[in-house]
Amino acid sequence: MSDERRHYVAGSFGIPQFESEISSALAEDTILADDLLRQLMSVGEVDLLVGIISHGDAITDRHAFHAIEQSFQEHFTRERAVIINVGGGDNHEGDASGAAHGDLAEKNMLFARSLRTVHRVSADFSAPPSAGLALRTILTAADLLRARACAMVSPGTTNLTPDRIASLLNPVFRERFDFVAPLYTRHKFQGLLARNLLYPMSRAIFCRGIRELYSDEWGFSGRLASACLSQDVWHEESIKTRPEAWMAISAISSDFRCCQAFLGPKLQSATGPATDIVEVFRHTVGNLFWCMESRQSTWLDCKRSESVKTLGPEQELTSEPADLDRHRIFEMFRNGVAELEPILSSILDPETHAEIKDIVALEESAFRFGPDLWVRTLYDFAASHHHAVINRDHLVQALIPLYRGMTFSFLMEHSDSSAAEMEVVNESLCVEFERRRPYLIEKWKAKMEVKS
Amino acid sequence: MRQTILQGLEQAYSNLVRMIADFIPRFLVMLIVIVLGLLVAFALKYILRIVLNLTKLDRVSEEAGASRILRIAHFTSMTALLSRSIFWLTWFGFILIGLSVLGVAGLQEQISRLFQFLPEVFVGILILFLGLLTANFLSRTALLAAVNAGHRSAKVFSWSIRFLVWILTISMTLEELGVARQTVISAFSIIFGALMFGLAIAFGLGGQDLARQLLERYLGNTKKAKDNEPQPL
Amino acid sequence: MAMQKDNLWYKDAVIYQLHVRTFSDSNADGVGDFAGLTQRLDYLQELGITAIWLLPFFPSPLRDDGYDISDYTSVHPSYGSLDDFKAFLLAAHDRGMRIIIEMVLNHTSDQHPWFIESRSSSENSKRDWYVWSQTDVRYEGVGIIFVDTEVSNWAWDPITKSYYWHRFFSHQPDLNFDNPAVLEALWEVMTFWLDLGIDGFRFDAVPYLVEREGTSCENLPETHAIIRELRKRLDLAYPGKMLLAEANNLPANVRAYFGNGDEFHTAFHFPLMPRMFMSVKLEDRKPIIDIFEQTPEIPDNCQWCIFLRNHDELTLEMVTDIERDFMNDEYAKDKTMRINRGIRRRLAPMMDNDRRRIELLNGLLMSMPGTPIVYYGDEIGMGDNIYLGDRNGVRTPMQWDGDANAGFSTADPERLYSPVISNAVYGYQAINVESQKRSEHSILCWMKSLIKLRNSFPVFGRGSIQFLKPANHRVLAYVRQLGEETILVVNNLSSSAQAVELDMRRFKGLIPIEMFGRNMFPRFGDLPYLLTLGPYQFYWFRLRRI
Repeated sequence: MSDERRHYVAGSFGIPQFESEISSALAEDTILADDLLRQLMSVGEVDLLVGIISHGDAITDRHAFHAIEQSFQEHFTRERAVIINVGGGDNHEGDASGAAHGDLAEKNMLFARSLRTVHRVSADFSAPPSAGLALRTILTAADLLRARACAMVSPGTTNLTPDRIASLLNPVFRERFDFVAPLYTRHKFQGLLARNLLYPMSRAIFCRGIRELYSDEWGFSGRLASACLSQDVWHEESIKTRPEAWMAISAISSDFRCCQAFLGPKLQSATGPATDIVEVFRHTVGNLFWCMESRQSTWLDCKRSESVKTLGPEQELTSEPADLDRHRIFEMFRNGVAELEPILSSILDPETHAEIKDIVALEESAFRFGPDLWVRTLYDFAASHHHAVINRDHLVQALIPLYRGMTFSFLMEHSDSSAAEMEVVNESLCVEFERRRPYLIEKWKAKMEVKS
Repeated sequence: MRQTILQGLEQAYSNLVRMIADFIPRFLVMLIVIVLGLLVAFALKYILRIVLNLTKLDRVSEEAGASRILRIAHFTSMTALLSRSIFWLTWFGFILIGLSVLGVAGLQEQISRLFQFLPEVFVGILILFLGLLTANFLSRTALLAAVNAGHRSAKVFSWSIRFLVWILTISMTLEELGVARQTVISAFSIIFGALMFGLAIAFGLGGQDLARQLLERYLGNTKKAKDNEPQPL
Repeated sequence: MAMQKDNLWYKDAVIYQLHVRTFSDSNADGVGDFAGLTQRLDYLQELGITAIWLLPFFPSPLRDDGYDISDYTSVHPSYGSLDDFKAFLLAAHDRGMRIIIEMVLNHTSDQHPWFIESRSSSENSKRDWYVWSQTDVRYEGVGIIFVDTEVSNWAWDPITKSYYWHRFFSHQPDLNFDNPAVLEALWEVMTFWLDLGIDGFRFDAVPYLVEREGTSCENLPETHAIIRELRKRLDLAYPGKMLLAEANNLPANVRAYFGNGDEFHTAFHFPLMPRMFMSVKLEDRKPIIDIFEQTPEIPDNCQWCIFLRNHDELTLEMVTDIERDFMNDEYAKDKTMRINRGIRRRLAPMMDNDRRRIELLNGLLMSMPGTPIVYYGDEIGMGDNIYLGDRNGVRTPMQWDGDANAGFSTADPERLYSPVISNAVYGYQAINVESQKRSEHSILCWMKSLIKLRNSFPVFGRGSIQFLKPANHRVLAYVRQLGEETILVVNNLSSSAQAVELDMRRFKGLIPIEMFGRNMFPRFGDLPYLLTLGPYQFYWFRLRRI
């Protein structure tokens, strides 16, 4: 553990500040400093825990706290609750309701309705913690406090509302689900990586489909938190950067009860994470491949796909015109296939590679990257990642041009499609992934036998 | 005179017999040492193979791309390479020890010099190997980055990187082996300097747009480029 | 024992609330009386009680447990005679106990001669002593108090064919304080009892004295004017007597009833009471802290009266809907337990007979700022009978021993005014004074020690309060101070053991001495002071500089 911690300070409404002067020496085998541990002791057992990983923006943080506390007041009036803020510094001074000068009346109103003390615990780090460390801190707190229902939210989500938070907590708290993934209203061309790769592939592999594997907000049970904590994965790079997918996959690949809850539009503030496609692929596809690696004993034996309950609409797609440079996307695909030929030849099955070279030669207007080819391409990549035919990070990056090709084909084919039509297409893609599962397993196991 | 010849022959004969009597034991010892060395070499090869299999070295080297280089040299795996190397090294060492037992004049000195040169050979081979590996890795990294950023001359960029690293590697290897040190250093400096100069001019004059794009990206003005592609998540 | 002459005696008092009917029957008619009560005064003196508040004992049709008075200056024959009362009063004073009686200003029984006269004709001289109207639309929108039984604040009188105003039961018509004669008549009633020697009045239903159109008819300025007038007369003619206000309202509104120290001497702090119960159930000090933060300062010669339970339902008027639902769900799961907007249960059953919780709540009662009022029977952990009508379930006979009728009366059981509690848990065989006197670990003996300790330290009655707010919200800690005397009270509101760190830097160097065992604890220093408490445990520490 390389991060240093100075001290942790807890805040509950109206409690005078009391900062310990005791140095926060780390106890062996724990990521919680003594001060944080002491403050968690003061909180005691809770029913609800909401974790925030702060990005350092005081305004959005305060908005988030206010929304969370309001959610507690409106939906969970009798429950014991705590907010764990990681990496945000000491931002609880004087008021746990995010009351600035103008909010005092509202704060008083909130507390007039509040039965219980709502705790706010701040975990302070000397340097901004990695996402994995932040999540681990929150999971540890959830485990220690025996929280029944937990949620992760991002202050970067500008439309964070009390109902949104309740949508994540309620299924866990009242219906005993272990994992709640969000569902969003999206533009039909938004989230294509999730829709055309992450969702159908993970659904086929792990036999349960979660549309949004990579999201800043989700709900989970204390039981799942404890299970995730007990896994020795925290040193892995993919966990350090984007642990949420791993947690989702841990849930869907085990016997935890999962569901999806519709939250509305997905928006992000300007301070949210970068959208550089290479980084996205590293953190998502790379993470997915790593999860396949670490959980192969589970998914290889999985026989039948199960549906995941959805609370609210399954999906909402909007179709406003989008300003996209399709030609550039196609050029990047074509160029990528040509330039990366030696690399692709070591990753792809010869037949798959040949087919790709065939479609590269097509004109833009006639170009089509069919679902069968796309599925085989991904499965070839997954198997090659497993066998580490080249450096794994390079392998993931090599997929990007092909993803662009698929994206171009998708944009061309569905520019006039309705939301219902797109849903049918998406479902048929999922079915194609499932149909080709034996192909993946064969590829996955093939070299294993040669090597042994 | 006949007596003298007979004495001479007798002397020569007894010298010969003495020489043979002197040589044969040493020869036998040499054989024993060589055979022992063979056995030890086999044992070490076997033990190393087991240890390396347990540490999954082959998987790591596959990932690092080292295995590809080895396959060019017709080695099936890193484990095979290392275990075979240790076999031959061990046996070669025993052979040399055996030869030194023979006591042939001048041979011992050569053997000693050979032993002193061996570490440099190993280091040289290691530098070459690591250099090739690095060249491979860096060039591929550059290729992928350039391709995914949409740059047209990705292959040129990638090969440039590879070539530079090769030159550096070969120079370092030759310097380690002590082969024409001065010549190699001078040649390397000239070639490397010229390449850098050329690249600087090329980028400076011809890469103004690229430089501007890079600067814009790092100063946060990336929206325009990214907006042309749909949000992946 | 001579009583201390102290005009502020009510600040140090420990008040015992009882109805003479419930306490002890001396003449075997099944109803408690003053003679029986007099016989039990030693018990109360031993308990440490310094004042007794008597519920109405006046002649009455008893349709509202005596709050429907038909004669203000007499004693209901069931309870004895006026002479019995005088004897009781004398005996109480001899034991150093003061007596507070009810003064129901707002209304009378419809059997009171005043009302009988008033309703007889619209020209009667006492017509205007009550609030009459030809229609029932005046004072529209004013809330109904007894929502379970009344549908309107107006009742139809068939005699004069008009409506009369009643904020409580329809058989309790409201007096009209706009008529000065009413005030004079009531002052005469007060002087009657004051001349006998009583020490104070509890004014029932104070907020509702005056009505005005377009208002809630509660807490009006005219009401305060009446109180000020009565107080002025009282102070002039009878100094050292106490007026206690029953105004079920938020502290900020009740504050007005203290005036500038020229209205009531004391008033009930109603909103605190349900919050004490709430805090224990929530295991969170927030409700108590919140209500104290909303409690304004009162004049130096005034005092809050605090209590856990009383003869009425545990009122949930002064809580939010969420809080009311919570209280009902936690303490009155059976809807039979609920009446009006409250819970008609006793303390012990509400605490599930958990001795620890009973002690904790009594500890809070005795250590928080205000004059504590103990409801009869709670000192031994008496139970209730929710199947009796109205609020009679908490007004059952006092349980003195395990003999027939719990030692309350020698009458036939069927003759008792109310059946005694006889179930396996709270029945008189299990819960009674005699058996608890024999065990020094009984709740009765514990209460005696508690009250004794409280009586020994005026700081509890007269001192300030400052809340410490440690990070552990399950612990309620506060400091009481009066002059040099400082008491630290720490309460664990939780059902599990708790650790708490208190910031006692302000008291650095002082040594806390636990008051029950009189053992010293480590001195306060700069570092947070760590205490551990068992479930529902509390500490009282006297802080001394040695």
